[in-house]
Amino acid sequence: MSDHTVSDSMLGRFVNELEESFIALILGLMTIITFINVVLRYGFNTGLIWGLEMTSILFAWLVLFGVSYAVKTTANLGVDAVTNLVPPAGRRIMALFAGVVCIAYACLLMKGAWDYWANFANLPQTTGRWFPTGFEDMTRTSYRSWYEMIDTPMPSWLRWIEPLINQGDAYEKIPRFIPYVILPFGAALLLFRFIQATVRIWKGSSDSLIVSHEAEDAVEDVAHMNKD
Amino acid sequence: SCEEGEMVIKFSHVTNTDRHPKGIAATLLAERVNEEMNGTACMEVYPNSTLYNDDQVLEAMLQGDVQMAAPSLSKFEQFTKVFRIYDLPFMFKNIDAVDAFQASDAGQAMKESMTRRGLLGLEFWHNGMKQLSANKPLVMPSDAAGLKFRVQPSEVLKAQFEALDASPQPMAFSEVYGALQTGVVDGQENTWSNIYGQKFFEVQDGTTETNHGVLDYLVVTNVDWWEGLDPAVREQLGNILHEVSMERNAAVGEVDAEARQAVLDAGGEIRELTAEQRQAWLDTMKPVWEQFTDDVGQENIDAAQSINNSM
Amino acid sequence: MDVVLLFLMVIGLMLVGVPIAVSLGFSSIVFLLVLSETSLSSVAQSFYQAMAGHYTLLAIPFFILASSFMSTGGVAARIIRFSIAIVGHLPGGLAIAGVFACMLFAALSGSSPATVVAIGSIVIAGMRQVGYSKDFAAGVIANAGTLGILIPPSIVMVVYASATDVSVGRMFLAGVIPGLIAGGMLMATIFGIAVVRKLPKGEWRGWGEVMESGGDAIWGLGLIVIILGGIYGGVFTPTEAAAVAAVYAFLIANFVYRDMGPLRMADGNHKALWEKPIALVTAFFHRDTKHTLLEAGKLTVTLMFIIANALILKHVLTDEQIPQQIAAAMLDAGFGPIMFLVIVNIILLIGGQFMEPSGLLVIVAPLVFPIALQLGIDPIHLGIIMVVNMEIGMITPPVGLNLFVTSGVAGMPMMRVVRAALPFLAVLFVFLIMVTYIPAISTWVPDRVMGPQVRCEGASLPSEPLERAFCEARGFGGAAATE
Ligand code: NA
Ligand code: NA
Repeated sequence: MSDHTVSDSMLGRFVNELEESFIALILGLMTIITFINVVLRYGFNTGLIWGLEMTSILFAWLVLFGVSYAVKTTANLGVDAVTNLVPPAGRRIMALFAGVVCIAYACLLMKGAWDYWANFANLPQTTGRWFPTGFEDMTRTSYRSWYEMIDTPMPSWLRWIEPLINQGDAYEKIPRFIPYVILPFGAALLLFRFIQATVRIWKGSSDSLIVSHEAEDAVEDVAHMNKD
Repeated sequence: SCEEGEMVIKFSHVTNTDRHPKGIAATLLAERVNEEMNGTACMEVYPNSTLYNDDQVLEAMLQGDVQMAAPSLSKFEQFTKVFRIYDLPFMFKNIDAVDAFQASDAGQAMKESMTRRGLLGLEFWHNGMKQLSANKPLVMPSDAAGLKFRVQPSEVLKAQFEALDASPQPMAFSEVYGALQTGVVDGQENTWSNIYGQKFFEVQDGTTETNHGVLDYLVVTNVDWWEGLDPAVREQLGNILHEVSMERNAAVGEVDAEARQAVLDAGGEIRELTAEQRQAWLDTMKPVWEQFTDDVGQENIDAAQSINNSM
Repeated sequence: MDVVLLFLMVIGLMLVGVPIAVSLGFSSIVFLLVLSETSLSSVAQSFYQAMAGHYTLLAIPFFILASSFMSTGGVAARIIRFSIAIVGHLPGGLAIAGVFACMLFAALSGSSPATVVAIGSIVIAGMRQVGYSKDFAAGVIANAGTLGILIPPSIVMVVYASATDVSVGRMFLAGVIPGLIAGGMLMATIFGIAVVRKLPKGEWRGWGEVMESGGDAIWGLGLIVIILGGIYGGVFTPTEAAAVAAVYAFLIANFVYRDMGPLRMADGNHKALWEKPIALVTAFFHRDTKHTLLEAGKLTVTLMFIIANALILKHVLTDEQIPQQIAAAMLDAGFGPIMFLVIVNIILLIGGQFMEPSGLLVIVAPLVFPIALQLGIDPIHLGIIMVVNMEIGMITPPVGLNLFVTSGVAGMPMMRVVRAALPFLAVLFVFLIMVTYIPAISTWVPDRVMGPQVRCEGASLPSEPLERAFCEARGFGGAAATE
């Protein structure tokens, strides 16, 4: 299995463990919540009213958090039919170009993610259409920390944020800036991992951003059974 | 589509363009704006959730990505809890009472209750009074006990079904028919035009004419955008919208009655309640009011009740 | 014109090695910023909503997880033993059993490559031992593995349902008969070849072996009963069915088969639960469980990354009214349903050369769906046609997921697998033609069980304009609803 990227440093191993545990935990929680809701409804005629919304949030977290991990482990799908035909020098140039496109993509996503999230956290959006050219002046409607989710109740252990961000008003449901924070966080991680991956290609320790096919790991596991 | 120099007004909604009360009104509005304000403004209608669903559209409106929308009133709960009054069971006697309440000072004030959050209400649009359907006959409130009812996400509606000892189940509108058919949920509440349009009656034992609640919409806009309009343009746009709203709201009773008749014609069972039976439903559900009096304001409840009594 | 540029950009980026998801997303964002008023903030919103706002797509991580728990060697081995017990004695018995096992495994798994890996790794080795050529074995399995997306549950069907708003439950039902027919045709072909070429056959081991192996495999096969029975019995929605399937698969893998988790011992034996009751708790935190969750999570992430970006491209196409333009052009040109379906087949077979099936579906389905309805083509039927096209795309070069996986598990060069798969590919082509032009193969079961997707009968036509056009195209001649 190659889901453990080789990391020499303690920190590297720790971060890796953290990322993998988090992905496993989110998917596990999504499954359990949905399952419990079925049991409650079918067996007990009741249900967690927030179950569906919470699962949807976790789904977004899984993908937005996990996508940087997929870049780190070179798990993203791509087409290598053409790149395999060109000589190594050409392949390296193509891979570097691909890396630059990915970085540009992550930058655009990062700006969008910040702009989307910022007002929900009473923070200024950036100005500019393609590139951030500065921060906007906040107007009276730029403060949207009051904006709550629909079903998920505010847990009492989070109440301490109310005086900090909601002028002391109590939240009935969790405010939107909490689930949405995964957007800027995930986009920043994605940008970081794409830069790392491109540097690896530049240094020659890697030659591509893609795994050609989804089942490569599994295939490696069983291939020995049919080797001549 | 829009010409150079015209101000573009995007109107996003979630229904079809020509059969649903909201869709019809939006289409009519766009036609009149595009004709009477030609050269100045141009309205693009995005129906069927092609641009945003009801929840996303309000976010997008605050962001300035869309200028007008007409979500159902319970969607505004996050902006101000005053709107919970419309979800309280038996708060309004009939659609005329709703209309009169909205036209009153209390109702008009609600349109401006969200300006501090960045939204301005412009006009109310009706759909109709809500009825109750299930996979078994509902005559007395005890018939609903133990059943699972699909609700729109709303604290009040959840409390309403809990008062019946029933189990509220939030579910996307598009899932409801399948869920009723297979029995994932037992019943639902909706207006005649929705019960008919979605053919819920096909997969229910029958529909009980409770008129217990109201399903209405509020046309909203971004307050900064609205206030930034040229005063003459704003006035003309406001007038057209007002006229369209009057016209369509006046016609909604007719649309409602047609849908009710169509359910009957298609073989759907409709149960009417005697005065005593209706009173029993009212007595069971009305305690829900107390839970939400602080949210909606006693003065608003009083205003609504005095309108009921005057009718 | 802009759209041609957009597609050229997407394909160009893919070919130089940009990940598929980024090729789709980057091109779409550039076009949105240039052509429309759309802000980057609303792109971010769409991205988040691809997961949080699409209730149907939520089924994908759960089906992937269920399949991962079921993909332990033990489940596949039990299914194969059961298949051999039933059909192993026929001419070409082991090959036929391989197809049969693929069909059964397809009913546990939402994906085709997973089916090839699980069944192929064992069956190909077994076939070679009893004297089949490696090519024949690989060709059989590469083809039969594609049934993974046709026999329910199916991730590709979930994506189609989400992209077009048809019911997942109907799509799953619709896959049952085509899946049986396709499997039957493959088995019949093998039987024919076996008789002519005198291929080896096994011996009949008696009903005892059938019962015993069946009893052993039944826990795994119980999954399909749970999924279909639960959905149509009103216990849960299709999305919930997927989550229940995942929990069920977890329980079976840990406590019944014990191929993983705390009851599995290092020497390959297992403990009984009563010997180690604490396993009921530790199974949730066991490293095997975490590993399976991580693998399923990773696959979900890569798939959803593509789908979320494909949804941004879909947004561009909607914004520019491309589906309407294509529809108008095709209707103007006087294409009927038959010509239209040929064109859909061609588009998908070409597109399938470059793209992973789910991403391709997200883009193509919204383009062809409105046209199909206006031509009176049943939306469920269209869905099955698209799925069968995806199957064929998986075993045609240059990009064919199953070809790659088969070449991996069989240890054969890719082009040799391509040649080996060719005779059976011809069978699937015949099958595609049957499915395309005989709608009843797809629609009979779902119409019987759940009624048609679009209900034209009754006092009025549907309110949705497209559905109304569909009914009118079918010769049917009310009000409407949304909250
Ligand atoms: Na399957
Ligand atoms: Na292919």
